[in-house]
Amino acid sequence: MNTSKFVAKRLGQLVLVLLGVTLVTFLVSHVVPGDPARMLIGQRADEQTLAAMRHAMGLDKPVWIQYLNYLWGLIHGDLGTSIRTQRPVLNELLSFFPATVELTLFAMGFAVSIGILLGLLSATFRDTLTDHATRILAILGVSTPLFWLGLMALLLFYKYLGWLPGSGRLDPLINPPTHITGLYVVDSLISGDWIALKSSILHLILPSLCLGYIQLATIARLVRASMIEVLELDYIKTALANGIPRSRIIYRHALRNALIPTVTIIGLTFGELLGGAILTETIFAWPGMGKFVVDSISFLDFPAIMGFTLVVATVYVLINMVVDLLYPILDPQIKGVH
Amino acid sequence: MKRILVLALCVFTLFGLAGCAQSANTPQTASKQDQPLVIATSADLGSIDPAVAMDNAAWKISYPAYDRLVNFKGSSTDVEPSLAKSWDISADGLTWTFHLRDDVKFADGTPLDAAAVKFSFDRLLKIKKGPSDAFPSLENVTAVDKNTVLFKLKTVFPPFLSTLATNGGGIVNPAVMKHEKDADMGQNWLATTTAGSGAYVLAEWVPEQSLKLTANPNYWGSKPKLSTIIIKIVKDPSAQRMALEKGDVDVAENIPVDQLKELKKNPDLTIFETPSLMVDYVYLNTQKAGLKNPKVRQAISYAVDYQGIIDNVWQGNATQMRGPIPNGLWGYQPDLLQYTRNVEKAKALLQEAGVNNLTLNFMYSDRKPWWEQEAQIIQSNLADIGIKVNLQKIAYAAQREKIDKGDFDMTIGVWSPDYADPYMFMNYWFDSKNFGLAGNRAFYKNAEVDKLVRKAASINNQTERIELYKQAQQLIMQDAPYVFLVQKKYQLPMRKSVQGFVFNPMLEDMYNFQAMSK
Repeated sequence: MNTSKFVAKRLGQLVLVLLGVTLVTFLVSHVVPGDPARMLIGQRADEQTLAAMRHAMGLDKPVWIQYLNYLWGLIHGDLGTSIRTQRPVLNELLSFFPATVELTLFAMGFAVSIGILLGLLSATFRDTLTDHATRILAILGVSTPLFWLGLMALLLFYKYLGWLPGSGRLDPLINPPTHITGLYVVDSLISGDWIALKSSILHLILPSLCLGYIQLATIARLVRASMIEVLELDYIKTALANGIPRSRIIYRHALRNALIPTVTIIGLTFGELLGGAILTETIFAWPGMGKFVVDSISFLDFPAIMGFTLVVATVYVLINMVVDLLYPILDPQIKGVH
Repeated sequence: MKRILVLALCVFTLFGLAGCAQSANTPQTASKQDQPLVIATSADLGSIDPAVAMDNAAWKISYPAYDRLVNFKGSSTDVEPSLAKSWDISADGLTWTFHLRDDVKFADGTPLDAAAVKFSFDRLLKIKKGPSDAFPSLENVTAVDKNTVLFKLKTVFPPFLSTLATNGGGIVNPAVMKHEKDADMGQNWLATTTAGSGAYVLAEWVPEQSLKLTANPNYWGSKPKLSTIIIKIVKDPSAQRMALEKGDVDVAENIPVDQLKELKKNPDLTIFETPSLMVDYVYLNTQKAGLKNPKVRQAISYAVDYQGIIDNVWQGNATQMRGPIPNGLWGYQPDLLQYTRNVEKAKALLQEAGVNNLTLNFMYSDRKPWWEQEAQIIQSNLADIGIKVNLQKIAYAAQREKIDKGDFDMTIGVWSPDYADPYMFMNYWFDSKNFGLAGNRAFYKNAEVDKLVRKAASINNQTERIELYKQAQQLIMQDAPYVFLVQKKYQLPMRKSVQGFVFNPMLEDMYNFQAMSK
């Protein structure tokens, strides 16, 4: 099967997955007790006002009709109106999604680059001090609760040392850069807004390092394990016997093969980071989707919860597709398997 | 090689866009602004339309952005003139005539006149969401001339003047109708912007991040000292605390009570403290078989360790309630029966009622962080008199739903008045017309109490009303439909540099920005 056919098939599956996701989320959110109309009009309104509000929101119709209405809107790009903020859900997600993506990308960049590097170091200098130090760092990463790590980082770098800002995406006195992609770093680069650029990068450091650290540990351990495995293989021994420099063998021949399982994990990591961002966003007051959805859940804001779920599901499916597309590039043997 | 080319192309395209985009920040603007007041709060706001918004968090923005005919005066429960210079009441108490100031302009420069007042109340009643609920007897509003406006009531409604000072009474610029969509009277537009005549206007709102208020150049009153106010959304209480100690924020709203003691030691900070009218109380569902007998409810009221709750949960920052009306609001009865922990008496009452092996569910949510602790204390208190309590923690939205339907044995809530009248407590909590979320959350029905509170709500004479409410309160304390726990102290940690803050118990979590400085 060629690549374009594969992509087409996957996108077809995406539609089915999303349909399933909407159905489950819709049912679950409508089964839990709680009346969004009540939440909206305040607790002291009379029955008549409540009934009018329920009617206006379409809540007086059977659940399956409400679901079909939702799907109908969805097909037309209408995700409904958030009950809590009274703004279209699509607009809300468009404003919060880039913040989460920016945070996730920075965390990913950090986790992947440093994680692979540490894994490599660990594997090449196996059982030395470097290896042990790296492994301790990795074990700490896997076992540190994110909220604790975040608070400690805040305490040290924000409160005591005062090197880095502690909350938000930008200094409140600085205007956000002109909206192009929604990623402040990219937008301020494009518009040449150096003040916003500096502020947004400084604000990214703490949350992205904290968010990325745990994934960094996972990646480092994985790279170490698969590197050690690959380095034991015959072709490496042959290469060594042929007198090819060790560094060349490691970077050219071993790493590439060792990266295949890592790519799978990195793909999954991206999804996990989007989810993990909820805690990080809370601690660092990062205005992303995580904070938005937590507030929405406590308000029983169905349209907002549905919208969030849809976005996360889409991202998961797309990333898995990208990962599958990456395999043949890393390992030509895999070509044509899917 | 190909990859490098593609990358280079991408970078060039990005910078190509630079020509179209304008930089929002120039080096001068960031450094030259005067120091704004920065307030940290835990959650972003919903709609800030005065005809829609029902929570104090949103009123924090709308209250200083709009003017009302009258305002709550300082920290008292009285009202003072604002847009209205003076007013007259007809002999039957049904017609109120307000004389408006003639020098008031909206932030966009258009004059605020009687027509705008009429428009705002017509809009409020037509939208008919939560805020309109404070005006149940309002029949219609007429603009007599440019500076005179007449309010006609259907029935006498004693708190009427006080309700005009609530957020829903804010006067909205009729120009909002230009932004009307689907006959919403501009609700969608006003959800995220302001169109009033108050001291401040909302200049910027970056969702989940911050809101910025700037001084209204057309404000009729004295010019505020603070030209900019920033509300910063910081969800995590520990992060709020750090920002406050570091001086990045001037006021932090959501620091838990147990951390305030530590903050008091910091020489740069001060904890603003004052009694509030917010009360915390347990609803006993009087319709449930186990709780129908008033003796059982009295026994529960005797079993609860009020002092233990005040010491442990509140660290002393609360006082025990004495009846429904809190201390500080007129109608409060200093000599009313107050239950104190008396296990023997509670056991005897249960025996008289012939009840043993009673099991009750105590439902609560995480809406208020202290509820769980209180629920646990009450659980162990009731175990002492042989009542088994199962704790049941659910989502706040679900808790509200179950309260409304009466699907609970015991649950817990807080209440604070929107306007300064015991009506807010007595008629909401005890009139059997208000079963459920509306206010009577104990589903309590006593014909005598119904008669007394309804009578008290139909006359304007305060002395007579106090007497009627007093009689009602005496009956209520015998019936014990609620466990009256505590009246909270209002505490707000802030930097010492913040000056001029005045707390009004009706305006909890709101600020008198126009009189504050830093």
